[in-house]
Amino acid sequence: MNKEDIFAIVTRHTQEVIPALRGHQFQPTQSLRELGANSIDRSEIVMMTLESLALRIPLVETVKATNIGELVNVLHAKL
Amino acid sequence: MVKAGIEAMNVFAGTTFLDVKKLAEHRNLDRRRFDNLLMKQKSVTLPYEDPITFAVNAARPIIDSLSAEEKDRIEMVITCTESAFDFGKSMSTYCHDLLGLNRNCRLFEVKNACFSGVAGFQNAINFVLAQVSPGGKALVIATDISRFMIEEGGDALTMEWSFAEPSSGAGAVALLISETPHVFQVDPGAIGSYGYEVMDTCRPSTDSEAGDSDLSLTSYLDCSENAFLEYQKRVSGADYHRTFGYLAYHTPFGGMVKGAHRSLMRKHVRGVTPSDIEADFERRMVPGLTYCQRVGNIMGATAMLSLASTIANANFDKPQRIGVFSYGSGCCSEFFSGVATKEGQERVRAMGIKEHLDRRYELSMDEYDDLLVGSNAVKFGTRNVVLDSNFIPKARTTHGRPTLFLKEIKEYGRKYEWVQ
Repeated sequence: MNKEDIFAIVTRHTQEVIPALRGHQFQPTQSLRELGANSIDRSEIVMMTLESLALRIPLVETVKATNIGELVNVLHAKL
Repeated sequence: MVKAGIEAMNVFAGTTFLDVKKLAEHRNLDRRRFDNLLMKQKSVTLPYEDPITFAVNAARPIIDSLSAEEKDRIEMVITCTESAFDFGKSMSTYCHDLLGLNRNCRLFEVKNACFSGVAGFQNAINFVLAQVSPGGKALVIATDISRFMIEEGGDALTMEWSFAEPSSGAGAVALLISETPHVFQVDPGAIGSYGYEVMDTCRPSTDSEAGDSDLSLTSYLDCSENAFLEYQKRVSGADYHRTFGYLAYHTPFGGMVKGAHRSLMRKHVRGVTPSDIEADFERRMVPGLTYCQRVGNIMGATAMLSLASTIANANFDKPQRIGVFSYGSGCCSEFFSGVATKEGQERVRAMGIKEHLDRRYELSMDEYDDLLVGSNAVKFGTRNVVLDSNFIPKARTTHGRPTLFLKEIKEYGRKYEWVQ
């Protein structure tokens, strides 16, 4: 799975958690926080993404990512 | 093997509370964010209340119900807290004195953020199970208050105040631990621990808190899973969905518990749907959430507040196994279990915790903001002060029974008074 695939999974789950973002043009430089996701939303999006990727890593390792692109990089490195 | 567990328990959640929906409006908080918290009220600490007043007010009805002989068998008093006002002297010494307990008694205090109450509880359970003093009892009091000031400077550890303020409460839970566990009998050895070093939330200076809310949330979720997995390794056949009639979780705010439950249900129950998860949450977790939603996060005492709430509010037509989860930042967590019965429920209900919560005085936003400006707060390290008993006087008699308050601090020593 490449980074574009992971990016698509993250943005899909982001739209599920925040329906107002349906149709939004996501950029890797955008952070979930600036898109309106609070801490609970962010952990939910990351958990759903890990499930979709069948990836088991501590959630705390994903917190250092400051935008969607960095989150994709963290997850890609763990695959 | 001898039985061990909770003989009696009681909660004291202060004399005043705030309606957090009104607070959210007052602070112009985002409505959706606020609804996610699943909180209704929070207890607030007044200047003449401190962790000792909460602790002793929680423990006194338990002590008053004992005979002189039973009272003399209390051989250990453990205070569990992150709100102590002295780095050396344990608050258990004040509690021991104010409750008039036997001097042949071990007194100490434990700390590990919100895990402290369960740390003290397990220590007391082991004292009973080890039978080093057959018939001996331990009094465990978890007591914590919120700090109002937020640590400034730097940008890594900055709490999301909008989350922290509506959910930070104040309160104490007192537990009498013995080999006659009328309220909650532990399953010996049925414990999964999980801890590691993480800088999520902390109290690095004397009057403030600091934290990274994302790190704290994710660490809680990681721990809720890993502590349960360890429990499952040790208890053959344990199943997240079927083994426990009820679940009592440390509740920093309701939404956190809901998220942890959702995550574990998805991982442990094959083919579960969102509506199954919601129904299971309502059935197994809402009884434990009920008091937590009315008190706020009381740190070291919260897991036990949730247990008290479960025992008071769940259905015990037949005995029920309760799974308890505690998480303390920093961090340490545990998932453990025990059994409660109708008799335990009657004993917890006889303490009148719901009625106690109902009797608290509701602060107006002006009264609350008045507290926050700081001129009324007793700062860490205060050497001498006489507390103003005219400040929000209605709070002092709101419970209609003798209530302990801080009267003065004289050369660092704290003097208390019972107010009728």
